[in-house]
Amino acid sequence: MTTTLFIQSLLAGLTNGFVYGLIGLGISVIFRGTRVVNAMQGDFALVAGIAACLALDWLGLPIAVGFLGGIIAGALVGWAVELLLIRPTQARGGSEDSLLLVTLGGAFAVSAAALLYFGRDSRSMPGFGGNRSLDVFDAAIRVHAVWLIAIAIVVVVALRLFYQRTPLGQSILAASIDPEGAATIGINVPRMRTLTFMLGGAVGGVAGVLVSPLITIHYEMGLLLTLKGFTAAIVGGLGNPFGAIMGGLLLGLVEAMAIVFVSSGYKDVIAMSLLILIMIAMPNGLLGRRGRVGG
Amino acid sequence: MLSVEELSAGYGDILVLRELSLAVARNESVAVIGPNGAGKSTLVRTLCGLTAARAGRIVKDGVAIERLAPHRRAATGIAAVLENRRLFGELSVKTNLDLAAREGDRRPAQARRFDHASLFELFPFMRERLGASIQLLSGGEQQMVAIARALLLQPDLLVLDEPSTGLAPKIVKGLVDVIARIRRQGVGILLVEQNVALATEAADRAYVMSLGRVTRAIPPEQWRGAQGDGEIAKAYLGA
Ligand SMILES: Nc1ncnc2c1ncn2[C@@H]1O[C@H](COP(=O)(O)OP(=O)(O)OP(=O)(O)O)[C@@H](O)[C@H]1O
Ligand SMILES: [Mg+2]
Repeated sequence: MTTTLFIQSLLAGLTNGFVYGLIGLGISVIFRGTRVVNAMQGDFALVAGIAACLALDWLGLPIAVGFLGGIIAGALVGWAVELLLIRPTQARGGSEDSLLLVTLGGAFAVSAAALLYFGRDSRSMPGFGGNRSLDVFDAAIRVHAVWLIAIAIVVVVALRLFYQRTPLGQSILAASIDPEGAATIGINVPRMRTLTFMLGGAVGGVAGVLVSPLITIHYEMGLLLTLKGFTAAIVGGLGNPFGAIMGGLLLGLVEAMAIVFVSSGYKDVIAMSLLILIMIAMPNGLLGRRGRVGG
Repeated sequence: MLSVEELSAGYGDILVLRELSLAVARNESVAVIGPNGAGKSTLVRTLCGLTAARAGRIVKDGVAIERLAPHRRAATGIAAVLENRRLFGELSVKTNLDLAAREGDRRPAQARRFDHASLFELFPFMRERLGASIQLLSGGEQQMVAIARALLLQPDLLVLDEPSTGLAPKIVKGLVDVIARIRRQGVGILLVEQNVALATEAADRAYVMSLGRVTRAIPPEQWRGAQGDGEIAKAYLGA
Protein backbone atom coordinates (compact mmCIF):
# COMPACT_ATOMS: atom_id res chain seq x y z
CA MET A 1 0.00 0.00 0.00
CA THR A 2 1.32 3.40 -0.89
CA THR A 3 1.32 6.50 1.29
CA THR A 4 -0.71 8.27 -1.38
CA LEU A 5 -3.44 5.67 -1.23
CA PHE A 6 -3.44 5.90 2.54
CA ILE A 7 -3.75 9.67 2.51
CA GLN A 8 -6.41 9.44 -0.17
CA SER A 9 -8.48 7.14 2.04
CA LEU A 10 -7.88 9.37 5.01
CA LEU A 11 -9.27 12.34 3.12
CA ALA A 12 -12.28 10.35 1.95
CA GLY A 13 -12.88 9.16 5.51
CA LEU A 14 -12.59 12.69 6.80
CA THR A 15 -15.10 13.98 4.26
CA ASN A 16 -17.56 11.15 4.92
CA GLY A 17 -17.03 11.67 8.63
CA PHE A 18 -18.16 15.28 8.41
CA VAL A 19 -21.21 14.23 6.38
CA TYR A 20 -22.18 11.65 9.00
CA GLY A 21 -21.42 14.23 11.65
CA LEU A 22 -23.71 16.81 10.05
CA ILE A 23 -26.58 14.33 9.90
CA GLY A 24 -25.85 13.31 13.49
CA LEU A 25 -25.76 16.99 14.42
CA GLY A 26 -29.32 17.45 13.18
CA ILE A 27 -30.45 14.35 15.06
CA SER A 28 -28.85 15.65 18.22
CA VAL A 29 -30.35 19.13 17.78
CA ILE A 30 -33.82 17.61 17.57
CA PHE A 31 -33.23 15.16 20.40
CA ARG A 32 -31.86 17.89 22.58
CA GLY A 33 -34.76 20.23 21.94
CA THR A 34 -37.66 17.77 21.95
CA ARG A 35 -36.45 14.34 23.16
CA VAL A 36 -37.69 12.97 19.85
CA VAL A 37 -35.42 10.51 18.05
CA ASN A 38 -35.85 11.64 14.48
CA ALA A 39 -35.54 8.88 11.90
CA MET A 40 -36.23 11.37 9.10
CA GLN A 41 -33.02 13.33 9.43
CA GLY A 42 -31.52 11.88 6.24
CA ASP A 43 -34.73 12.68 4.41
CA PHE A 44 -34.50 16.32 5.43
CA ALA A 45 -31.15 16.15 3.62
CA LEU A 46 -32.74 14.42 0.63
CA VAL A 47 -35.44 17.07 0.28
CA ALA A 48 -32.86 19.83 0.58
CA GLY A 49 -30.70 18.18 -2.06
CA ILE A 50 -33.63 17.86 -4.45
CA ALA A 51 -34.74 21.45 -3.82
CA ALA A 52 -31.22 22.75 -4.47
CA CYS A 53 -30.94 20.60 -7.57
CA LEU A 54 -34.19 21.98 -8.96
CA ALA A 55 -33.18 25.54 -8.12
CA LEU A 56 -29.88 25.07 -9.96
CA ASP A 57 -31.24 23.07 -12.92
CA TRP A 58 -34.52 24.78 -13.63
CA LEU A 59 -34.02 28.26 -12.35
CA GLY A 60 -30.32 28.46 -13.15
CA LEU A 61 -29.56 30.15 -9.85
CA PRO A 62 -25.97 30.54 -8.62
CA ILE A 63 -24.74 27.62 -6.55
CA ALA A 64 -24.72 29.44 -3.22
CA VAL A 65 -28.29 30.65 -3.75
CA GLY A 66 -29.46 27.19 -4.78
CA PHE A 67 -27.85 25.75 -1.66
CA LEU A 68 -29.54 28.36 0.48
CA GLY A 69 -32.85 27.40 -1.10
CA GLY A 70 -32.17 23.77 -0.21
CA ILE A 71 -31.43 24.67 3.40
CA ILE A 72 -34.65 26.67 3.64
CA ALA A 73 -36.52 23.71 2.14
CA GLY A 74 -35.01 21.53 4.88
CA ALA A 75 -36.20 23.95 7.56
CA LEU A 76 -39.70 24.01 6.06
CA VAL A 77 -39.90 20.22 6.01
CA GLY A 78 -38.82 20.21 9.68
CA TRP A 79 -41.57 22.69 10.44
CA ALA A 80 -44.18 20.62 8.60
CA VAL A 81 -43.09 17.40 10.28
CA GLU A 82 -43.40 18.92 13.75
CA LEU A 83 -46.79 20.42 12.98
CA LEU A 84 -48.34 17.52 11.06
CA LEU A 85 -46.74 14.44 12.61
CA ILE A 86 -45.13 15.14 15.97
CA ARG A 87 -47.62 17.52 17.54
CA PRO A 88 -50.77 15.43 16.88
CA THR A 89 -49.02 12.27 18.08
CA GLN A 90 -48.01 13.99 21.27
CA ALA A 91 -51.42 15.55 21.80
CA ARG A 92 -52.82 12.03 21.91
CA GLY A 93 -50.28 11.07 24.54
CA GLY A 94 -47.97 9.21 22.15
CA SER A 95 -44.91 7.67 23.79
CA GLU A 96 -41.31 8.11 22.69
CA ASP A 97 -41.48 4.87 20.72
CA SER A 98 -44.57 5.94 18.82
CA LEU A 99 -42.87 9.23 17.94
CA LEU A 100 -39.85 7.33 16.62
CA LEU A 101 -42.17 5.15 14.59
CA VAL A 102 -43.99 8.19 13.21
CA THR A 103 -40.74 9.71 11.97
CA LEU A 104 -39.71 6.38 10.50
CA GLY A 105 -42.99 6.33 8.59
CA GLY A 106 -42.32 9.90 7.51
CA ALA A 107 -38.92 8.81 6.21
CA PHE A 108 -40.45 6.19 3.95
CA ALA A 109 -43.11 8.65 2.80
CA VAL A 110 -40.51 11.22 1.78
CA SER A 111 -38.47 8.57 0.02
CA ALA A 112 -41.55 7.35 -1.87
CA ALA A 113 -42.48 10.89 -2.82
CA ALA A 114 -38.96 11.48 -4.11
CA LEU A 115 -39.19 8.32 -6.18
CA LEU A 116 -42.55 9.40 -7.59
CA TYR A 117 -41.63 12.94 -8.56
CA PHE A 118 -37.89 12.70 -9.03
CA GLY A 119 -37.55 9.25 -10.52
CA ARG A 120 -35.39 6.21 -9.98
CA ASP A 121 -32.22 7.71 -11.44
CA SER A 122 -29.49 9.38 -9.47
CA ARG A 123 -28.83 12.98 -10.30
CA SER A 124 -25.56 14.73 -10.00
CA MET A 125 -25.35 18.24 -8.75
CA PRO A 126 -22.61 20.84 -9.18
CA GLY A 127 -20.63 21.78 -6.09
CA PHE A 128 -18.41 24.59 -4.96
CA GLY A 129 -15.31 24.87 -7.14
CA GLY A 130 -16.77 22.70 -9.91
CA ASN A 131 -14.87 19.46 -10.18
CA ARG A 132 -11.55 20.95 -9.21
CA SER A 133 -9.40 19.25 -6.58
CA LEU A 134 -6.61 20.25 -4.25
CA ASP A 135 -3.43 18.20 -3.93
CA VAL A 136 -2.51 16.96 -0.48
CA PHE A 137 0.78 14.98 -0.52
CA ASP A 138 -0.02 13.65 -4.00
CA ALA A 139 -3.52 12.69 -2.94
CA ALA A 140 -6.48 14.78 -4.05
CA ILE A 141 -9.47 16.24 -2.29
CA ARG A 142 -12.27 18.00 -4.11
CA VAL A 143 -12.57 21.70 -3.45
CA HIS A 144 -16.20 21.07 -2.61
CA ALA A 145 -15.21 18.59 0.09
CA VAL A 146 -12.99 21.24 1.68
CA TRP A 147 -15.97 23.57 1.70
CA LEU A 148 -18.09 20.85 3.24
CA ILE A 149 -15.62 20.39 6.08
CA ALA A 150 -15.25 24.12 6.67
CA ILE A 151 -19.00 24.71 6.70
CA ALA A 152 -19.60 21.73 9.01
CA ILE A 153 -17.13 23.20 11.49
CA VAL A 154 -18.78 26.62 11.29
CA VAL A 155 -22.21 25.05 11.85
CA VAL A 156 -21.16 23.12 14.94
CA VAL A 157 -19.42 26.12 16.49
CA ALA A 158 -22.39 28.34 15.69
CA LEU A 159 -24.75 25.83 17.30
CA ARG A 160 -22.66 25.70 20.43
CA LEU A 161 -22.72 29.47 20.73
CA PHE A 162 -26.45 29.46 20.00
CA TYR A 163 -27.24 27.15 22.91
CA GLN A 164 -24.77 28.71 25.32
CA ARG A 165 -25.12 32.38 24.62
CA THR A 166 -28.43 33.27 23.05
CA PRO A 167 -31.73 33.68 24.90
CA LEU A 168 -33.51 31.64 22.25
CA GLY A 169 -31.02 28.78 22.52
CA GLN A 170 -31.34 28.73 26.30
CA SER A 171 -35.13 28.85 26.10
CA ILE A 172 -35.07 25.85 23.77
CA LEU A 173 -32.93 23.92 26.25
CA ALA A 174 -35.13 24.95 29.17
CA ALA A 175 -38.29 23.94 27.32
CA SER A 176 -36.91 20.48 26.72
CA ILE A 177 -35.39 19.95 30.18
CA ASP A 178 -38.62 20.83 31.98
CA PRO A 179 -41.53 21.84 29.75
CA GLU A 180 -43.86 22.74 32.62
CA GLY A 181 -41.20 24.65 34.52
CA ALA A 182 -40.43 26.51 31.30
CA ALA A 183 -44.07 27.37 30.64
CA THR A 184 -44.48 28.90 34.09
CA ILE A 185 -41.65 31.33 33.38
CA GLY A 186 -43.20 32.50 30.16
CA ILE A 187 -41.52 30.25 27.62
CA ASN A 188 -43.78 29.24 24.74
CA VAL A 189 -42.92 25.55 24.80
CA PRO A 190 -44.78 24.44 21.63
CA ARG A 191 -43.05 27.20 19.68
CA MET A 192 -39.64 26.11 21.00
CA ARG A 193 -40.37 22.60 19.75
CA THR A 194 -41.37 23.86 16.32
CA LEU A 195 -38.24 26.01 16.12
CA THR A 196 -36.15 23.00 17.14
CA PHE A 197 -37.51 20.97 14.26
CA MET A 198 -36.91 23.87 11.88
CA LEU A 199 -33.34 24.16 13.14
CA GLY A 200 -32.84 20.40 12.81
CA GLY A 201 -34.35 20.58 9.32
CA ALA A 202 -31.99 23.39 8.35
CA VAL A 203 -28.97 21.46 9.66
CA GLY A 204 -30.20 18.44 7.69
CA GLY A 205 -30.52 20.79 4.72
CA VAL A 206 -26.91 21.91 5.07
CA ALA A 207 -25.86 18.26 5.07
CA GLY A 208 -28.08 17.54 2.06
CA VAL A 209 -26.86 20.32 -0.21
CA LEU A 210 -23.24 19.70 0.75
CA VAL A 211 -23.26 15.94 0.31
CA SER A 212 -25.29 15.83 -2.91
CA PRO A 213 -22.50 17.06 -5.20
CA LEU A 214 -20.26 14.30 -3.81
CA ILE A 215 -22.57 11.28 -3.92
CA THR A 216 -25.35 12.20 -6.41
CA ILE A 217 -28.95 12.46 -5.27
CA HIS A 218 -30.99 9.30 -5.04
CA TYR A 219 -34.41 8.69 -3.56
CA GLU A 220 -33.04 6.07 -1.15
CA MET A 221 -30.20 8.13 0.20
CA GLY A 222 -32.21 9.47 3.15
CA LEU A 223 -32.43 6.31 5.19
CA LEU A 224 -28.79 5.49 4.51
CA LEU A 225 -27.70 8.89 5.75
CA THR A 226 -29.98 8.58 8.77
CA LEU A 227 -28.36 5.29 9.76
CA LYS A 228 -24.83 6.70 9.59
CA GLY A 229 -25.83 9.95 11.23
CA PHE A 230 -27.66 8.11 13.96
CA THR A 231 -24.55 6.07 14.67
CA ALA A 232 -22.49 9.25 14.79
CA ALA A 233 -24.92 10.92 17.17
CA ILE A 234 -25.11 7.93 19.51
CA VAL A 235 -21.35 7.41 19.60
CA GLY A 236 -20.90 11.08 20.40
CA GLY A 237 -23.50 11.00 23.16
CA LEU A 238 -26.98 11.70 21.85
CA GLY A 239 -27.87 15.33 22.32
CA ASN A 240 -24.37 16.71 22.16
CA PRO A 241 -23.55 18.65 18.96
CA PHE A 242 -19.78 18.37 19.31
CA GLY A 243 -20.12 14.69 20.07
CA ALA A 244 -22.06 14.07 16.88
CA ILE A 245 -19.25 15.52 14.77
CA MET A 246 -16.63 13.53 16.67
CA GLY A 247 -18.71 10.39 16.32
CA GLY A 248 -19.08 11.04 12.61
CA LEU A 249 -15.36 11.53 12.16
CA LEU A 250 -14.59 8.35 14.04
CA LEU A 251 -17.07 6.41 11.93
CA GLY A 252 -15.78 7.90 8.66
CA LEU A 253 -12.14 7.26 9.49
CA VAL A 254 -12.70 3.71 10.72
CA GLU A 255 -14.60 2.94 7.53
CA ALA A 256 -11.77 4.38 5.45
CA MET A 257 -9.15 2.37 7.30
CA ALA A 258 -11.24 -0.78 6.99
CA ILE A 259 -11.28 -0.27 3.24
CA VAL A 260 -7.51 0.25 3.11
CA PHE A 261 -6.46 -2.55 5.40
CA VAL A 262 -9.19 -5.13 4.85
CA SER A 263 -11.61 -4.68 2.01
CA SER A 264 -14.44 -2.37 1.17
CA GLY A 265 -16.97 -5.17 1.62
CA TYR A 266 -16.11 -5.37 5.31
CA LYS A 267 -16.11 -1.67 6.08
CA ASP A 268 -19.54 -1.62 7.73
CA VAL A 269 -18.90 -4.77 9.73
CA ILE A 270 -15.61 -3.46 11.06
CA ALA A 271 -16.87 0.05 11.74
CA MET A 272 -19.98 -1.16 13.53
CA SER A 273 -18.08 -3.75 15.59
CA LEU A 274 -15.67 -1.11 16.78
CA LEU A 275 -18.50 1.24 17.62
CA ILE A 276 -20.27 -1.46 19.60
CA LEU A 277 -17.09 -1.92 21.62
CA ILE A 278 -16.90 1.80 22.23
CA MET A 279 -20.49 1.92 23.38
CA ILE A 280 -19.85 -0.94 25.80
CA ALA A 281 -16.82 0.84 27.23
CA MET A 282 -18.41 4.31 27.20
CA PRO A 283 -22.18 3.93 27.38
CA ASN A 284 -22.79 7.68 27.48
CA GLY A 285 -20.84 8.28 24.30
CA LEU A 286 -17.38 9.66 23.65
CA LEU A 287 -17.94 12.81 25.70
CA GLY A 288 -19.78 11.11 28.55
CA ARG A 289 -22.52 12.62 30.68
CA ARG A 290 -20.84 15.95 31.12
CA GLY A 291 -20.55 16.26 27.38
CA ARG A 292 -24.30 16.16 27.03
CA VAL A 293 -24.62 19.28 29.10
CA GLY A 294 -21.82 21.37 27.65
CA GLY A 295 -22.27 21.19 23.87
CA MET B 1 -56.41 40.62 43.37
CA LEU B 2 -56.96 36.88 42.74
CA SER B 3 -60.29 35.23 42.97
CA VAL B 4 -60.97 31.63 42.14
CA GLU B 5 -64.65 30.98 41.53
CA GLU B 6 -66.16 27.50 41.54
CA LEU B 7 -63.17 26.07 39.78
CA SER B 8 -63.26 22.46 38.60
CA ALA B 9 -60.30 20.64 37.10
CA GLY B 10 -58.82 17.17 36.88
CA TYR B 11 -56.90 14.60 34.89
CA GLY B 12 -58.59 12.44 32.28
CA ASP B 13 -61.73 10.97 33.82
CA ILE B 14 -60.75 12.02 37.34
CA LEU B 15 -62.20 15.25 38.64
CA VAL B 16 -59.88 16.62 41.34
CA LEU B 17 -60.97 20.21 41.99
CA ARG B 18 -64.72 20.42 42.60
CA GLU B 19 -66.14 23.93 42.41
CA LEU B 20 -63.39 25.33 44.54
CA SER B 21 -63.53 29.00 45.50
CA LEU B 22 -61.02 31.19 47.28
CA ALA B 23 -59.59 34.68 47.12
CA VAL B 24 -56.35 36.49 47.88
CA ALA B 25 -56.30 40.26 48.34
CA ARG B 26 -53.43 42.51 47.35
CA ASN B 27 -50.33 41.96 49.50
CA GLU B 28 -52.12 39.39 51.61
CA SER B 29 -50.54 36.08 52.59
CA VAL B 30 -52.91 33.14 52.53
CA ALA B 31 -52.20 29.51 53.31
CA VAL B 32 -53.89 26.49 51.77
CA ILE B 33 -53.61 23.41 53.93
CA GLY B 34 -55.01 19.93 53.53
CA PRO B 35 -54.03 16.27 53.57
CA ASN B 36 -52.17 14.44 50.82
CA GLY B 37 -54.24 14.11 47.69
CA ALA B 38 -56.61 16.94 48.61
CA GLY B 39 -55.83 18.60 45.27
CA LYS B 40 -53.55 21.41 46.46
CA SER B 41 -51.00 20.92 43.70
CA THR B 42 -53.78 20.54 41.17
CA LEU B 43 -55.03 23.95 42.29
CA VAL B 44 -51.57 25.44 41.72
CA ARG B 45 -51.26 23.71 38.34
CA THR B 46 -54.64 25.00 37.27
CA LEU B 47 -53.71 28.54 38.32
CA CYS B 48 -50.66 28.18 36.06
CA GLY B 49 -52.62 26.69 33.17
CA LEU B 50 -50.74 23.38 33.29
CA THR B 51 -53.97 21.56 34.10
CA ALA B 52 -56.99 22.80 32.18
CA ALA B 53 -59.93 24.32 34.03
CA ARG B 54 -63.09 22.32 33.30
CA ALA B 55 -65.45 24.91 34.75
CA GLY B 56 -65.37 28.01 36.88
CA ARG B 57 -63.21 31.09 36.68
CA ILE B 58 -59.81 32.37 37.72
CA VAL B 59 -59.95 36.14 37.91
CA LYS B 60 -56.77 38.16 38.31
CA ASP B 61 -57.22 41.90 38.79
CA GLY B 62 -60.64 41.75 37.17
CA VAL B 63 -59.55 39.70 34.14
CA ALA B 64 -60.60 36.08 33.61
CA ILE B 65 -57.41 34.13 32.88
CA GLU B 66 -58.53 30.49 33.09
CA ARG B 67 -58.31 30.06 29.30
CA LEU B 68 -54.93 31.75 28.94
CA ALA B 69 -52.02 29.60 27.70
CA PRO B 70 -49.60 28.72 30.52
CA HIS B 71 -46.75 30.80 29.14
CA ARG B 72 -48.95 33.91 29.13
CA ARG B 73 -49.95 33.77 32.78
CA ALA B 74 -46.74 35.17 34.24
CA ALA B 75 -47.55 38.38 32.39
CA THR B 76 -50.69 38.73 34.53
CA GLY B 77 -48.57 38.97 37.66
CA ILE B 78 -48.87 35.40 38.91
CA ALA B 79 -45.65 33.50 39.50
CA ALA B 80 -45.57 29.99 40.90
CA VAL B 81 -42.96 27.70 42.37
CA LEU B 82 -44.35 24.30 41.47
CA GLU B 83 -44.11 21.15 43.53
CA ASN B 84 -40.54 19.77 43.19
CA ARG B 85 -39.33 23.23 42.09
CA ARG B 86 -39.00 22.38 38.40
CA LEU B 87 -35.66 24.10 37.87
CA PHE B 88 -33.55 23.44 34.78
CA GLY B 89 -31.13 21.10 36.48
CA GLU B 90 -28.46 20.96 33.79
CA LEU B 91 -28.28 24.72 33.38
CA SER B 92 -26.54 27.20 35.66
CA VAL B 93 -28.18 29.24 38.39
CA LYS B 94 -27.57 32.33 36.29
CA THR B 95 -29.25 30.89 33.21
CA ASN B 96 -32.25 29.77 35.28
CA LEU B 97 -32.61 33.31 36.60
CA ASP B 98 -31.92 35.04 33.29
CA LEU B 99 -34.64 33.11 31.51
CA ALA B 100 -37.22 34.34 34.01
CA ALA B 101 -35.79 37.86 34.05
CA ARG B 102 -36.34 38.08 30.31
CA GLU B 103 -40.05 37.49 30.84
CA GLY B 104 -40.18 39.75 33.91
CA ASP B 105 -38.60 42.62 31.99
CA ARG B 106 -41.77 42.88 29.93
CA ARG B 107 -43.82 43.75 32.99
CA PRO B 108 -44.70 47.43 33.49
CA ALA B 109 -42.06 49.47 35.30
CA GLN B 110 -44.09 49.94 38.49
CA ALA B 111 -44.52 46.16 38.78
CA ARG B 112 -40.79 45.48 38.65
CA ARG B 113 -39.73 45.05 42.26
CA PHE B 114 -36.79 42.69 42.01
CA ASP B 115 -33.42 42.71 40.32
CA HIS B 116 -30.24 40.72 40.84
CA ALA B 117 -29.03 43.07 43.59
CA SER B 118 -32.20 42.75 45.66
CA LEU B 119 -32.17 38.97 45.18
CA PHE B 120 -28.59 38.73 46.44
CA GLU B 121 -29.74 40.63 49.51
CA LEU B 122 -32.54 38.12 50.00
CA PHE B 123 -30.37 35.08 49.19
CA PRO B 124 -26.70 35.99 49.88
CA PHE B 125 -25.38 32.54 48.91
CA MET B 126 -26.55 33.02 45.33
CA ARG B 127 -23.92 35.59 44.43
CA GLU B 128 -21.15 32.99 44.71
CA ARG B 129 -23.13 30.21 43.11
CA LEU B 130 -24.34 31.96 39.96
CA GLY B 131 -22.13 29.89 37.68
CA ALA B 132 -22.91 26.58 39.37
CA SER B 133 -25.19 24.06 37.75
CA ILE B 134 -28.45 23.57 39.66
CA GLN B 135 -27.65 19.91 40.25
CA LEU B 136 -24.71 20.89 42.45
CA LEU B 137 -26.84 22.89 44.90
CA SER B 138 -28.35 21.60 48.14
CA GLY B 139 -32.11 21.15 48.35
CA GLY B 140 -32.46 24.34 50.36
CA GLU B 141 -30.41 26.32 47.88
CA GLN B 142 -32.46 24.92 45.00
CA GLN B 143 -35.65 26.03 46.72
CA MET B 144 -34.24 29.54 47.07
CA VAL B 145 -33.26 29.63 43.39
CA ALA B 146 -36.75 28.50 42.47
CA ILE B 147 -38.21 31.34 44.54
CA ALA B 148 -35.73 33.83 43.08
CA ARG B 149 -36.59 32.68 39.58
CA ALA B 150 -40.28 33.23 40.26
CA LEU B 151 -39.61 36.69 41.73
CA LEU B 152 -37.78 37.75 38.58
CA LEU B 153 -41.08 37.33 36.76
CA GLN B 154 -41.98 40.46 38.77
CA PRO B 155 -45.22 39.04 40.16
CA ASP B 156 -47.63 40.67 42.55
CA LEU B 157 -48.79 37.22 43.61
CA LEU B 158 -46.34 34.46 44.44
CA VAL B 159 -47.75 30.94 44.64
CA LEU B 160 -45.62 28.42 46.55
CA ASP B 161 -46.39 24.70 46.48
CA GLU B 162 -44.97 23.05 49.61
CA PRO B 163 -41.67 24.94 49.67
CA SER B 164 -40.64 23.23 52.93
CA THR B 165 -40.64 19.71 51.44
CA GLY B 166 -37.38 17.94 52.15
CA LEU B 167 -35.75 20.88 53.90
CA ALA B 168 -34.03 20.85 57.28
CA PRO B 169 -35.94 22.65 60.10
CA LYS B 170 -33.37 25.43 60.22
CA ILE B 171 -33.84 26.16 56.53
CA VAL B 172 -37.62 26.12 56.92
CA LYS B 173 -37.19 28.86 59.56
CA GLY B 174 -35.21 30.85 57.01
CA LEU B 175 -38.11 30.43 54.61
CA VAL B 176 -40.42 32.23 57.05
CA ASP B 177 -38.07 35.19 56.99
CA VAL B 178 -37.76 35.11 53.20
CA ILE B 179 -41.54 35.10 52.75
CA ALA B 180 -41.90 38.01 55.16
CA ARG B 181 -39.34 40.02 53.22
CA ILE B 182 -40.99 39.26 49.90
CA ARG B 183 -44.28 40.54 51.31
CA ARG B 184 -42.63 43.73 52.40
CA GLN B 185 -41.96 44.38 48.72
CA GLY B 186 -45.70 44.39 48.15
CA VAL B 187 -46.09 40.86 46.83
CA GLY B 188 -49.06 38.72 47.90
CA ILE B 189 -48.51 35.07 48.80
CA LEU B 190 -50.56 31.94 48.26
CA LEU B 191 -48.78 29.30 50.30
CA VAL B 192 -49.67 25.63 49.93
CA GLU B 193 -48.21 23.82 52.93
CA GLN B 194 -48.55 20.80 55.13
CA ASN B 195 -45.99 22.21 57.53
CA VAL B 196 -48.38 24.03 59.86
CA ALA B 197 -45.61 25.78 61.76
CA LEU B 198 -44.41 27.44 58.57
CA ALA B 199 -47.94 28.13 57.33
CA THR B 200 -49.09 29.80 60.56
CA GLU B 201 -46.01 31.98 60.74
CA ALA B 202 -45.98 33.01 57.11
CA ALA B 203 -49.69 33.43 56.38
CA ASP B 204 -52.36 35.77 57.73
CA ARG B 205 -55.20 33.30 57.33
CA ALA B 206 -55.87 29.95 55.72
CA TYR B 207 -58.15 27.77 53.67
CA VAL B 208 -58.54 24.12 54.51
CA MET B 209 -58.87 21.88 51.49
CA SER B 210 -60.20 18.38 51.34
CA LEU B 211 -61.25 16.24 48.38
CA GLY B 212 -60.93 19.10 45.94
CA ARG B 213 -63.03 21.58 47.89
CA VAL B 214 -62.42 24.33 50.38
CA THR B 215 -64.01 22.92 53.51
CA ARG B 216 -63.19 25.79 55.81
CA ALA B 217 -61.79 29.30 55.80
CA ILE B 218 -59.87 30.12 58.96
CA PRO B 219 -59.91 33.87 59.68
CA PRO B 220 -56.80 35.75 60.93
CA GLU B 221 -57.79 35.82 64.65
CA GLN B 222 -58.15 32.06 64.78
CA TRP B 223 -55.19 31.38 62.54
CA ARG B 224 -52.87 33.46 64.68
CA GLY B 225 -54.09 31.69 67.79
CA ALA B 226 -53.37 28.37 66.18
CA GLN B 227 -49.69 29.16 66.03
CA GLY B 228 -47.52 26.50 67.53
CA ASP B 229 -50.23 24.17 68.74
CA GLY B 230 -50.83 20.86 67.06
CA GLU B 231 -54.58 21.21 66.94
CA ILE B 232 -54.82 22.35 63.35
CA ALA B 233 -52.51 19.64 62.20
CA LYS B 234 -54.64 17.09 64.02
CA ALA B 235 -57.89 18.46 62.75
CA TYR B 236 -57.11 19.10 59.13
CA LEU B 237 -54.06 17.23 57.95
CA GLY B 238 -54.87 13.84 59.42
CA ALA B 239 -51.54 14.05 61.26
N1 LIG C 1 -51.07 13.76 36.57
C1 LIG C 1 -52.06 13.16 37.25
N2 LIG C 1 -52.85 12.25 36.63
C2 LIG C 1 -53.87 11.66 37.30
N3 LIG C 1 -54.17 11.90 38.57
C3 LIG C 1 -53.42 12.80 39.24
C4 LIG C 1 -52.34 13.48 38.61
N4 LIG C 1 -51.79 14.32 39.51
C5 LIG C 1 -52.49 14.16 40.64
N5 LIG C 1 -53.48 13.26 40.49
C6 LIG C 1 -54.46 12.87 41.50
O1 LIG C 1 -55.18 14.01 41.90
C7 LIG C 1 -55.40 14.01 43.29
C8 LIG C 1 -54.89 15.30 43.89
O2 LIG C 1 -53.48 15.36 43.73
P1 LIG C 1 -52.64 16.64 44.12
O3 LIG C 1 -51.24 16.39 43.74
O4 LIG C 1 -53.30 17.85 43.59
O5 LIG C 1 -52.79 16.62 45.70
P2 LIG C 1 -51.98 17.42 46.80
O6 LIG C 1 -52.99 17.99 47.71
O7 LIG C 1 -51.05 18.35 46.19
O8 LIG C 1 -51.21 16.28 47.55
P3 LIG C 1 -49.75 16.31 48.22
O9 LIG C 1 -49.95 16.89 49.55
O10 LIG C 1 -49.38 14.85 48.29
O11 LIG C 1 -48.85 17.10 47.35
C9 LIG C 1 -54.72 12.77 43.83
O12 LIG C 1 -55.71 11.79 44.03
C10 LIG C 1 -53.78 12.35 42.75
O13 LIG C 1 -53.65 10.96 42.71
MG1 LIG D 1 -49.00 18.55 46.18
